[in-house]
Amino acid sequence: MATREAGKKMIMLKSPDGMEFEVEEAVAMESQTIRKMIEDDCADTAILIPNINSKILSRVIEYCNKHVPTTGATGAAASDTVAPAALAEDLKIWDAEFIKVNRATRFNLIQAASYLNIKGLLDLTSQTTIDTISDNSLEEIRSFLSTKNDYLPEEEQTIRRENQWAFQ
Amino acid sequence: MAEAAAAGATPLLRNLPDEIVLWEILARLDPRSLIRCRAVRRAWRRATSTRRFLLAHHARQPAFPIAADNRYRNFLAFDHRSAATADAQFHTVARLGGSFSLELCCDGLLLVAKSGMLGNRARLAVCNPVTRQHASLPPLPDFNILGMYLHGPTDEYRLLLQWRGAMDWGDDSDFDSPTGKNGCYVFALGSDQPPRYIGLSEPKFSSAYFHGPARVRDSLHWCLFYRPGETPLEDCEAGWELVVFDTIAESFRQMHAPVDPTKSCILEMDDMLGIYCCNKAAEVVDIWVLPNYDSEVWDLKYRVALPIAEIRGKLEGHDGECYWYVTVASGGGDELLLASFGRSLFYIDTHGKLVASFQDIFPSRHRLKQTLVPHDFFRTVKGQAVDASPFI
Repeated sequence: MATREAGKKMIMLKSPDGMEFEVEEAVAMESQTIRKMIEDDCADTAILIPNINSKILSRVIEYCNKHVPTTGATGAAASDTVAPAALAEDLKIWDAEFIKVNRATRFNLIQAASYLNIKGLLDLTSQTTIDTISDNSLEEIRSFLSTKNDYLPEEEQTIRRENQWAFQ
Repeated sequence: MAEAAAAGATPLLRNLPDEIVLWEILARLDPRSLIRCRAVRRAWRRATSTRRFLLAHHARQPAFPIAADNRYRNFLAFDHRSAATADAQFHTVARLGGSFSLELCCDGLLLVAKSGMLGNRARLAVCNPVTRQHASLPPLPDFNILGMYLHGPTDEYRLLLQWRGAMDWGDDSDFDSPTGKNGCYVFALGSDQPPRYIGLSEPKFSSAYFHGPARVRDSLHWCLFYRPGETPLEDCEAGWELVVFDTIAESFRQMHAPVDPTKSCILEMDDMLGIYCCNKAAEVVDIWVLPNYDSEVWDLKYRVALPIAEIRGKLEGHDGECYWYVTVASGGGDELLLASFGRSLFYIDTHGKLVASFQDIFPSRHRLKQTLVPHDFFRTVKGQAVDASPFI
C-alpha cells in the first residue's frame, strides 16, 4: 500500500468487501475511469470500486504503482540514471512475473482492467488468453479454457474444409 | 450486446462476460487464429461471424507496409515490431503465380495488375491475401487507376479512374471518342457497367501524375507531380495544394499543403494525414502531419537526417549510379523510413538510426490491414471467372 509523501495528493479507493486503499492520485489516474471521476469532481472523499474485491483491487493498484510515470515510484530502489530502454526491459520482466497467476485471478484482472479502463493492464491480461487460442490445437484450447466441443464431427470437418488455409 | 444475446444462454467463456471475450480477446486474434477458433464451439463461431464483429476485428489489425521480392511474385508485410531477427520482420502475405504490380490497397484488399505486351495491363484482379479470394476485373487499358475506396452510401468498392487518352493524343486535342472523354470515372467492383464519368477534366489534372492516395476521413488525397516543364504556373501563385476526393459525394476539392506537393509524397499515419519530402541532396527527410484535419494547419513532426555515411559503407562494391528512393511508412503508432538504394533496402528509424538492411526487397507505398470481412464482389464474379487464381 502506498505511503503518504509530502506534497502528493492521495485518493481513497474502497472495495465492496470493505477494504480501503490510500493511493497517490497519479497512481489512481492510471485508470481512465477514476481519472474521469476525479476530473469531474466526483471524488471528494473515497471512491467505491464496485464488483472488484480487495484481493484483485490490491493487485490492480500494484500494477498502477509500477506503471505510473516515474516521479518517485513508492518503494522502488531504482537509481536515477536508468536508461529508458533498460526501464522498459525492467517493466517487461516485472509484467511477466505479475501475470503468473491462475486463470480465475487473470479473468478477474481482465474484468477489473476493462471496468477501470487501464489499457496496459487490459493488454497484458488478455494477451495470455489470446496466446492460448493462437498457439494451441483445438483440443488444447478447449481443455485450457474449460470449454466443450458441441459440434458433430462432420460439422467440424466442414469448417476445416471451408477454411483450409487457416488449418494448414 | 446484440451478438451476446443472440449467442444464447451459454457464455463464450465461463467467468468472463461475453462482451469482454468478444471485443478484448477474440477481436484481437490474428485472422488465421480467428478462423481456427470458430471450430472450438458453436457459440464462438456465431459470435465471430457477424459483419459488425468482423469490421471491428479488421479495425484492430495492425497496418503493415507492403514490399515485394522474388521479381514481384511475392508480396511481403513489414512488421518492425517483431525484432527477433531481421528476416522475421518481413513475412509473406501473398505468393503469386507470376509477376504482378501492386496498384492499390484498401481495407485489406489488394488490386494487382499483371503486365502484358508493351507495358499494357493484361489482367487486373482484386484479392484478399488472407482468405485467398480473388476476382478478375476487366483490364481497363484506357485508364490510370487513381484510387480504390468504399463508397459508404452503397457499400460498394469502387475504383477511381482517370481517362488517359489525352496523354497519348496531347492536351490541346478537343477529344471526344466513343470510349470516353477527358477526366475521371468511377467503376464499381463486381459491376458489368462501363466506368461512369464524374468530371475533373481540366488539362492541369490530365497531364499530372497522381501520387497516393492516402485515405483519411472518407477522402482520398494525392500529391500531383508533372513531367519537367509541364508544371502549371497558376498553381504556384495559388499556394501549394493537394487534390482531395470525397468518397461519399464522389467530388473533388483541393486542400492546403505545407510543402511543394510536386516534390513530396503523401501517407496516412493512424488516421492522420502525413506528407514527406526529401531535400535536394537526399540527406534529410521532413515528415509533416495534420493533427486537426479541418484546420489544415500542418506540424513538422520529424526531421530525419539519413545515416548516409553508414549506408555508403554498406554499399561498398556497388557503383554510384543508383539513386535514393525513400518511403515513409507508418504502423502501430510508429513511423519508420525504408530507403531503397539499388537492390538494397535500409530500415531507418525516425531518429536517423540505421536499424536493419535487406537485399532484393522492394518497398511499395501501400499498407495492408488484414481483413476477414466478406465481400459480395468475390461471389458475384466467381461463377463467371475463367481465369485461374493469381495465387499459388
